[in-house]
Amino acid sequence: MLVKNIFIIKVFFTNMLGFRCLKERNDTMVFLDALLNGVLMGGIYGLTALGLTLIFGVMKVINFAHGTHLMMMMYAAYWVVELTGIDPYLSLIVVIPVAYLLGYFTQDLLVNPILKKEADVREPVGVLLLTAGLWIFFNNFFLLLFGANFRSAETIYSGTTFSLGSILVSKPLLYAFIISLISTYTLYRFLKTTRLGRAIRATGQDREAARLMGINVFRIYNIAFGVGIVAVGIAGTVLIPLFYVHPFAGDVFDIRAFVIVVLGGLGSVPGALLGGIIVGVIESLAGQYFSMTWAAALIYIIFLIVLFIRPSGIFGFEKEG
Amino acid sequence: MNKRILSIILLISIVLMLCVSNMSIYAEDTIKVGILLPLSGPAAPIGVNSLNGHKLAVEEINESGGIQSLGGKKLELVVADSGGDPKVGMTQAERLITKDNVVAIMGAYQSSVTYPSTQVAEQFKIPYIVPSSYLPTITERGFEYTFRLCLTSALASREQISFLDRMGKLTGDPVKTLGLIYENTDWGESAGETWRHYAEEYGFEVILDEKYQANSPSLRPVVSKINAAKPDALLFASYTSDAILLTKGIAEQKINIKAYVTTAGGHADPVFLENVGAAGNFYFDLAETSPDIDLPIARETNTKYKEIYGDNMSDDCIKCYTSTYVLAKALEIAQSTDSEDLRRVIANIYMIPGQKGIITPYGVDFGPDGQNIHARGVMIQTMNEERIVVYPNELALPGAEIVWPVPTWDERE
Repeated sequence: MLVKNIFIIKVFFTNMLGFRCLKERNDTMVFLDALLNGVLMGGIYGLTALGLTLIFGVMKVINFAHGTHLMMMMYAAYWVVELTGIDPYLSLIVVIPVAYLLGYFTQDLLVNPILKKEADVREPVGVLLLTAGLWIFFNNFFLLLFGANFRSAETIYSGTTFSLGSILVSKPLLYAFIISLISTYTLYRFLKTTRLGRAIRATGQDREAARLMGINVFRIYNIAFGVGIVAVGIAGTVLIPLFYVHPFAGDVFDIRAFVIVVLGGLGSVPGALLGGIIVGVIESLAGQYFSMTWAAALIYIIFLIVLFIRPSGIFGFEKEG
Repeated sequence: MNKRILSIILLISIVLMLCVSNMSIYAEDTIKVGILLPLSGPAAPIGVNSLNGHKLAVEEINESGGIQSLGGKKLELVVADSGGDPKVGMTQAERLITKDNVVAIMGAYQSSVTYPSTQVAEQFKIPYIVPSSYLPTITERGFEYTFRLCLTSALASREQISFLDRMGKLTGDPVKTLGLIYENTDWGESAGETWRHYAEEYGFEVILDEKYQANSPSLRPVVSKINAAKPDALLFASYTSDAILLTKGIAEQKINIKAYVTTAGGHADPVFLENVGAAGNFYFDLAETSPDIDLPIARETNTKYKEIYGDNMSDDCIKCYTSTYVLAKALEIAQSTDSEDLRRVIANIYMIPGQKGIITPYGVDFGPDGQNIHARGVMIQTMNEERIVVYPNELALPGAEIVWPVPTWDERE
């Protein structure tokens, strides 16, 4: 009896939600579709920018190799999925440690020596050049390793959708959004509540003061870079069922990530997510109602306006250190 | 002091080497043909592929006795690398003419290189055959020595639109509205422009005209727009990365369209199908030929080519092979290597498909502007993730039947 009732209710609701809309996609549906896709895609953009903002917030280093790190992580996730055939989200078990070690040792072996030499310099330009070098090197190294071919992993999630009335929502896109929310929240809590997180923030606020308080600054740098690349690794993994893998695939997201962190506030974790969603929604709505070329332009127009009105970004600190 | 002596010795040896190599060129009694192709840089794989087409043709011609009216003289390819750079292309064309004394040039794949290098050949009055550059203006400058075998991008757009028109008439299930999806640089924009022109000519209504930035991180807004407009047919000009995202997006949103027509580029990239799998089924792609065409000589040549080079002949390779035979035939008829005689013969040549060496599915007859008036396209449809020639029916193998309209996504499962 109960089962039957539930069934009737279910049919009723599907009719209410779906049937009317299935006949014709009206303007509201088109708007909701665009908005929803914008928010979800924005979540991914935010996730790709998370690592960049953390690394900047702590070290005041702009990681030019950010897109390259994303590309490397996409390849890592791609090969785990291709070779073992496991669920793409389970590949995080492998990707996260790999990402952490990559970040940790990039910082320890390559960045720290330069930082130590430039200890008295307020803006470490040498590191900037180093990350730019890593960007070019790894892009071409991966080109050499895997060739210029585009690859897509065939996962069980690829191309699957939930239907919400007449709107079909991509499952991997929704999962990616949820994972993005979880990651942002976890990172935020980690920085706010744990002892290590506080040490990372202290180092970000004032390197010298943190050192005087007994914090091993360079170890904190290593950890922060490691955690930053883990965020990039998660972004790379959730992109696998949605995107293609290519030696230059990271660069596609790169410039956008820079816009997002400046929008949200350099160094701000919730700012990255919010900035990502703003960019995603602008892109989606402008793409829907004007054109994709306009969408790209509009993102930068809003970026410029934010820079004029609030140079430190939406969540940025007015004064640092 | 020692260094100076060393450098002098080096200089002398270089000069000697140059003399010796030049002497060996002049010693042989061959007809030199200049080939200008991008053999380095991003387009190098296509350049090498095209060169293989020329090579195979020359080998065959020489094996069967060379140019008989010229006493069995053999053809010799003099290859120059343009690197895809227009300036290098110009200097290399000049070098081929003034230093190597070639009787004709063939090349140069990229329109941006072909355009200025044909100008050099025009100045020196040397015939230049263009097997595969699509820029329309190459043959719109009133040049006397430039001959183009292949389609132009404008003609290709017309082929696509007229295909939609003719299929509607043949099946009684016509397309009325069009959606144009193209990337926003030269190539895409010019495709969009010519589509609009021919859509008007053939009486189609364009209800979606969408350009996008190439290599976008997300093309969902474009897919969503297609979904909202739901045109009868979609036309694409996309590079590989965007073609992948668009095809996956359309499959994901289960958008039902009567026909998808693409313009080679990303959609013809072999990795495209590897990436999209079954989502790429039933797409029509405009090409000029294909290894599975119903033209026996083309398939035989392809088999032979595959034995030597391990790959199927690409479109460009086939056109380069055919061009070489056109030139050989012209030399045969002209009975001379004089450039003016040769130009006159090429301008009036008429060859038909299936004739020895003509493995393109169209004949060769250059109009007064140098454009081959017979150049036409074939439609390739992807079936079960394989590209098959389906249109015109006359060129399709038995059993290769066109699917029109494309089945709906529900029907596919």
